[in-house]
Amino acid sequence: MLEIQNLKAGYDKKVIVEVPQFNLLPGEHCLILGASGSGKTTLLSTVSGLLSPIAGDIVLDSNNYNDLYGAAMDEFRGRHIGIIYQTLHMVSALTVLDNLLLAQYAAGLPQDKKKAVHLLEHLGIADKKADKPETLSQGQQQRVAIARATINNPKIIVGDEPTSALDDNACETVMGLLLQLASSSNACLVIATHDQRIKRHFHKQITLGGAQ
Amino acid sequence: MNCVNLSFAYLRHKALSTALTMATFAAGVAMIVVLLLVNSQLQNEFFNNLKGIDLVVGGKGSPMQLILSSVFHLDIPTGNIPLEEAEKLSKHPMIKEAIPLALGDNYQGFRIVGSTPAYPTHYQAKLKIGGRYWGKAMEAVLGSEVAEKSRLKPGDTFSGSHGLNVGGELHSEFPYTVVGVLEPTGSILDRLVLTGLESVWYIHEHHHHDHDEDEGELHHEGDHDHHDEDHEDEDNHEHKREVTSLLLSYNSPLAAVSLPRMINSMTSMQAASPAFEVARLTAFMGTGTETLTYFAWFLIILAGFGIFAGLYNAMNERRYDLALMRSFGARPGKLFALMMSESLIVSLISVAAGLAIGHLLVEAFAIWINNSKHIHMTGRIFLSTETWLIPMSLVVGALAALLPAIRVYRIDIFKTLVQR
Repeated sequence: MLEIQNLKAGYDKKVIVEVPQFNLLPGEHCLILGASGSGKTTLLSTVSGLLSPIAGDIVLDSNNYNDLYGAAMDEFRGRHIGIIYQTLHMVSALTVLDNLLLAQYAAGLPQDKKKAVHLLEHLGIADKKADKPETLSQGQQQRVAIARATINNPKIIVGDEPTSALDDNACETVMGLLLQLASSSNACLVIATHDQRIKRHFHKQITLGGAQ
Repeated sequence: MNCVNLSFAYLRHKALSTALTMATFAAGVAMIVVLLLVNSQLQNEFFNNLKGIDLVVGGKGSPMQLILSSVFHLDIPTGNIPLEEAEKLSKHPMIKEAIPLALGDNYQGFRIVGSTPAYPTHYQAKLKIGGRYWGKAMEAVLGSEVAEKSRLKPGDTFSGSHGLNVGGELHSEFPYTVVGVLEPTGSILDRLVLTGLESVWYIHEHHHHDHDEDEGELHHEGDHDHHDEDHEDEDNHEHKREVTSLLLSYNSPLAAVSLPRMINSMTSMQAASPAFEVARLTAFMGTGTETLTYFAWFLIILAGFGIFAGLYNAMNERRYDLALMRSFGARPGKLFALMMSESLIVSLISVAAGLAIGHLLVEAFAIWINNSKHIHMTGRIFLSTETWLIPMSLVVGALAALLPAIRVYRIDIFKTLVQR
């Protein structure tokens, strides 16, 4: 599903992280670990298609990122990559439900209100669907972000520290939901974190600033 | 969800800044509307009064003064002309219509003008229901504004005062009876009291008998060079009648060449062309009005920049959400449509509000200056030039959205959303 070869990732022409070789099969999950500044976010952004690789190849479902530019990359990302940003980036002008529909609208996919409501029910925040995101708690907002990242059935779900702001209970719930949503659509889950609590859910790891 | 309801969601969310942007925009539009309305109405009123009057004939003196006094009823007359000569001239084959005017008195500052019903007919004036034109001396028809201010109605009586300004001696022994009121005409008629020539003669002949020492009945403020002559005439012919001026319209364009010269050189009267005098007047005041026009344009351009700046800022604040939409896969066309629809919604609402406010302001201004007898205005007309404001506002709105919309595609999503 995801193949990385001789990847040099970074920005402003400066290489920050190198990944010689890495593979994920459909439904396989992986954790990116490393100290602050080791390039976790940079690698994750490159995998998300937010940053172009400086050198090397990333291939997702036989689409090489090097062949996708600008709007084409945006569109590919919209349909196949679900991103949970570290700062959640809720659109405060829109309701929780509309935040989910926005992801479908932006990706040019049909807007499926039933599916969105169903997803919110599944995440236990259906009663908040008509509320503005800023009225929700951090844990609730995290769930909205997860719902928004997964509504388009992406092939890969990418999360940057999705649990580090949560307490132990919320952390477990969120992790459980993420894994469940990923497996239900056979998607890969790639999470960058320094949160030791979620380590046990993952078989594969990339540790930056050291060996794989 | 589509770009229109998404736009509305954003506009509602930032209600205060949306309101401020719209207020700036609407204020600019309103200002333009006010300038357009006031300018056009002042011009209209000016040219309404000139309508169809090719030549004014009156006593010798300043031609400008003759036009101002007889067409616009602003200045004092130049002096009288003998009725006999006026009538002779009226029969000239090149003249289509000749309207005699006799001035001399006022009612509460409104001039009482002795004439024939041809005078109101010339301005396409209509009588209000239940009124009629004067049939005999001392019957009067009121202009709409005079009727409104004085609250006089058909059947009422009033007395004129001597002279053309408030404060003259009251002719209380010769009361007028109101027999009709005119519908508003948008011309000087609205501010005149009309009566027959006989009424003016009647009052002043008697007045003259009562006050022998008061020499110049009709032309009391007239040209003194001619006074002695007139006085002698009066002494010779007790009942020699005069009029103040004659409004003429030509039968043929050739008249413009020959008639004024003929009148000025061969008679004791003076002929003045309103078109020529008005052109002279505007040339004289040209610098002033030009400066005002430039200033108005300067304000309009400034309003345009204000509108643009407000919208541009509003659009620029949206960069962040637009980057997010890009990260969700939104195509350029979609973001462009979103920016455009938002900006155009703001422009459309603002231009509508601006038009409404502009008209209300002019109407308020009109009510406020209603006391002045020389300017008549309304906010309840719509000019065809105003329709241009709508496409122009939409263009400004589109331009304001265009720059940020293009810049969205230069945004580095990584730096905007991840790095910060």
